[in-house]
Amino acid sequence: MSSSLSRKYVPLALAALMLIAGGPLTAEAQKKGGILKVGNLGEPPSLDAHWTTASITETLTNHIYEGLYSLDSDNRPIPMLAESHTVSKDGLVYTFKLRQGVKFHNGKEMTSEDVVPSLARWGKQSIYGKALFAQVAEWKALDKYTVEMKLKEKSAIVLISLAVPNNFGAIYPKEIVEKFAPEVKATEYVGTGPFKLAEWKPDQYIRMVRFDDYKSRNEKPNGYGGGKTAYLDEVRFQPVPEVATRVAQVETGELDFADDLNLDAYDRLKANPNLRPLVSKPYYWLVAVLNKKEGLMTNQKLRQAWQAAIDIEPIMKNVAGGRAEFYRMDSSLAMTEIVSWHTKLSGLPWNEHNRAKVQKLLQEAGYKKEPIRFMTTQEYKWMYDFALLTKQQLEDLGFNIDLQVVDWATLVKRRNNPKEYDAFTTGIGAFYDPTHAVFLTASWPGWTTDEDIQKLQAELARETDPKKRVALWEQQTRLFYDKVPVIRYGDLFGLRAIRNTTKGFNEKTERIRFYNVWVEK
Amino acid sequence: MTAYLIRRLLTVVPVLAVVVTVVFLLIHLIPGDPVSVMLGPDATLAQIQATRQALGLDRPLHEQLFKFYARVVRGDLGQSYFLDRPVVTALLERAEPTLVLTFSALLVAIVIGVPSGIVAAAYQGSLWDRTLMLISLLGVCVPGFWLSLNFIYLFAVRLGWLPAAGYASILADPMAALRYMVLPAVSLGFNQSALIARISRSCMLEALQQDYIRTARAKGVSQRSVMWVHAFRNALVPVITVVGITMAILIGGAVVTEIVFNIPGLGRLIISAVLRRDYPVVQGVILVTATAYVLINLVVDVLYVFIDPRIRYG
Amino acid sequence: MADPGARPTWRRHAARNRNIAIGAAILAVVILAALLAGVISTHDPRRLNPAQRLKAPSAANFLGTDEFGRDVYSLVLHGAQVSLLVGATTMILTSLWGIVIGLIAGYYRRVDMALMRVMDGLMAFPAILLAIALMAARGPGIGNVIFALSVVYTPRTAMLIRSTVLSLRELDYVQAARALGRRDLAIAFRHILPNCVGPLLVQASFIFAYAILAEAILGFLGVGVPPYVPSWGNVIASGKNVIREAFWVSLFPGLALTISGLSLNLLGDGLRDVLDPRLRVQ
Repeated sequence: MSSSLSRKYVPLALAALMLIAGGPLTAEAQKKGGILKVGNLGEPPSLDAHWTTASITETLTNHIYEGLYSLDSDNRPIPMLAESHTVSKDGLVYTFKLRQGVKFHNGKEMTSEDVVPSLARWGKQSIYGKALFAQVAEWKALDKYTVEMKLKEKSAIVLISLAVPNNFGAIYPKEIVEKFAPEVKATEYVGTGPFKLAEWKPDQYIRMVRFDDYKSRNEKPNGYGGGKTAYLDEVRFQPVPEVATRVAQVETGELDFADDLNLDAYDRLKANPNLRPLVSKPYYWLVAVLNKKEGLMTNQKLRQAWQAAIDIEPIMKNVAGGRAEFYRMDSSLAMTEIVSWHTKLSGLPWNEHNRAKVQKLLQEAGYKKEPIRFMTTQEYKWMYDFALLTKQQLEDLGFNIDLQVVDWATLVKRRNNPKEYDAFTTGIGAFYDPTHAVFLTASWPGWTTDEDIQKLQAELARETDPKKRVALWEQQTRLFYDKVPVIRYGDLFGLRAIRNTTKGFNEKTERIRFYNVWVEK
Repeated sequence: MTAYLIRRLLTVVPVLAVVVTVVFLLIHLIPGDPVSVMLGPDATLAQIQATRQALGLDRPLHEQLFKFYARVVRGDLGQSYFLDRPVVTALLERAEPTLVLTFSALLVAIVIGVPSGIVAAAYQGSLWDRTLMLISLLGVCVPGFWLSLNFIYLFAVRLGWLPAAGYASILADPMAALRYMVLPAVSLGFNQSALIARISRSCMLEALQQDYIRTARAKGVSQRSVMWVHAFRNALVPVITVVGITMAILIGGAVVTEIVFNIPGLGRLIISAVLRRDYPVVQGVILVTATAYVLINLVVDVLYVFIDPRIRYG
Repeated sequence: MADPGARPTWRRHAARNRNIAIGAAILAVVILAALLAGVISTHDPRRLNPAQRLKAPSAANFLGTDEFGRDVYSLVLHGAQVSLLVGATTMILTSLWGIVIGLIAGYYRRVDMALMRVMDGLMAFPAILLAIALMAARGPGIGNVIFALSVVYTPRTAMLIRSTVLSLRELDYVQAARALGRRDLAIAFRHILPNCVGPLLVQASFIFAYAILAEAILGFLGVGVPPYVPSWGNVIASGKNVIREAFWVSLFPGLALTISGLSLNLLGDGLRDVLDPRLRVQ
């Protein structure tokens, strides 16, 4: 097109585009600039996305790294760094075309020579990576922008594994992958995301600044994916371990956003005209993970006894600050919001709180009141809460619980050692595919090695027919409640607070993201 | 005087030696194997051996002690396991907030304590005196951390006058730094201000009864002048000595204050280090604070010499 | 210094001193409350009662309930047991150790130099920091809290005893006893120790107060006794997140701490007035 024509038509075309795209541009004008201060629970154990499932790491790394796929607002995989993919007729060969011209924070262009080693590393260290790569026969680059994955058998989980945000397949530059073996934490952080790491002062802040050469996708923002724009100059994540301080700081404006707040603060946050509380759903379902490798909990009857003993509702109510809107009683292994995998089965031995049954099971288990080492932490208040309440309920029914309160870092370390505990508290967040239920894997702490469960998980990984998968999943759920690898409590919702000057925040995603967010001060 | 000063300086050396020894012994108080505890349960045997050798824990105790001395004198305080950096670096990063907090609290303690004590002494036996002394008694007994919680509730949350928590560097933003420091400094300094008030008062009373004061009065020097010029200067001397002890208490109290107000100083560092079993950092913090205390007392003693004419030639 | 031959007049003064009277009275109440905690509590302080969480003070719960529905009144009473146990044991241990070390240091000049440097070194550590570091090494538990605090406070007592010994050694009757060949230990017990009692009592009351406060601070910081054990520090800590919705949870144990500290400080002040006029704060 000649330049004079373009001078006439391009502005018209742009105007038309704006009208079509509509939406945010007409409602509130995004402002570029500003620093957003976000208060969270504490320090991430690492900023190496491949290395850990910790949710703090997940939140932080999803600002600076990206994977081949991402999740849309229906929790389905959509392309991110991948342009597109094709699957062979027999379903065994996946070919991914990469987007071109995507830059890393160090200026280098992302190509297949970065993608292949990154995901290979992820496949060796990450829970989800390991699950996927167990099925992979060959993984290589075909050319600069094409990579190919050859599977050993048909798989249902390729795209979803590449899309999940937790412990995800972040693409690193090849040099960093080569520098850090999979089991070693990477300590250099270069990604393709809309923000890049500017400074990490442990226990003080993690500063991420806008990456000016970020190449956004053209679509509208969609769930965790789609277009991402870094309006903010900087996002500053500040660890504020004291939840009372975190609440106070968002109330006074020292923080623009505060995560993981205690539910008791809801009323006063609601009353504050400068901010609003957000109830985050889903958040976690509370779980007591049982050590099935060594110790007392290798005994299935004892595990069943615990499951039969707890009266879940009063526990959930107390953990939820006494408020019904902050918890949900549900036996499904996938939470309500994960529509594809939510089950509504009846007759499950969940929340039976049946005294007679407990006595019988304890007897059958041959339990002689040996102390059961139950690890928890006060750093996640709800963990400590449900642990203490559980202890009382169980001890009223004849158990002997040795409650060990440690800090989260110690708990995460100790839970890898089968000699150190019998049970520990944690929460299961959203997972988007049955094969990603960590509590059903053999390598996650607790070590669910039961043959029947593993068989079903393997079938789920292979079976591609969605209807058949749902049936398998329901079967697995029933098996879960019989084998009792972990004790499922109820669903807890979380509380966040956001100041009114912070705009554009997506309240629907499970975890927080600050691209597409701007401030109006 | 010089002889006294030299002697005083020399006493620092053995005290510091003891400090370093105590710090060294700390690791050996840990029940079980300190290295496995430090590295955590998923350390491999090879890692444990390597760390044990690196720390020299496989050598006899006295040899380890000498090595430890050598390292400390060189300025090498080891490596932090959690923070992946040398302990010295971690300490330097956190020193500023603690220093600012401690000195601010000291300032508060003196600014509130000394005038209160003097006024109480000047009007001894009056309602003023009794009220001030009652408040100071309570001030000594009220737990600082509890006071902090109540201050936050009242001034930050209810009244909104001051920020609830946090820290801004004086070098970066002095105005903000001041606002953030008010509540922490006051709640930390309040206890000590009470102590200083009582001591100021008693010293002032004692000074007022001294012969030379009576002589000055007899000579007709005005009341004001008597108080402020003569008595005050002499009353100040014991207050300066108290400063040394006050600093020790303040450094200790700073730990809790930093936790409550989310100030990223040495206090928060040592608590996180304790919770994470990061022993090198724990050792580093107490070594540094003890050394600081010893040096501060040294300075105080030296100042004392210059201020109090009575001991100058003693 | 009082003539050891005459009957001590300080006992009479003590009875008349107001500070001692008030301090001792309040302390007696606190001790009584702690001892009778099991009897006068209205609830089991460890019993969680989720349906009754964060209830304001009422007839059913005199001082309200905490976030688990535990009765604050019962928690404060049982917490007194922990505080007083830690305080008293620390006080006794530091006194004993202080006497031993102080006597040895005061008596044997050669050992004195070394011992005093060690004491100076220990006193260089801010008390709470040293206690925290010791707890880090030893782990949680009430025994370790007592151990940590004893290590921290013994030097002060040792120095005190030592200086008393030093001032007494030179007295005529002591020198006479030595000349007569009386054994050192006998001299210590008959002549020196009785005169240490005064300053020791003063010191002990302050150490009692410091130890109670220190235990609370350690609990508050999460490095003291385990969090579900009723202790004043733990209860204040549990109340700090709900200080607006339920101020009573942190308020009452804080008051208890203040009152205990007050009683011991008054006692200490009063004893100091009576026993050692030189140290008197007018």
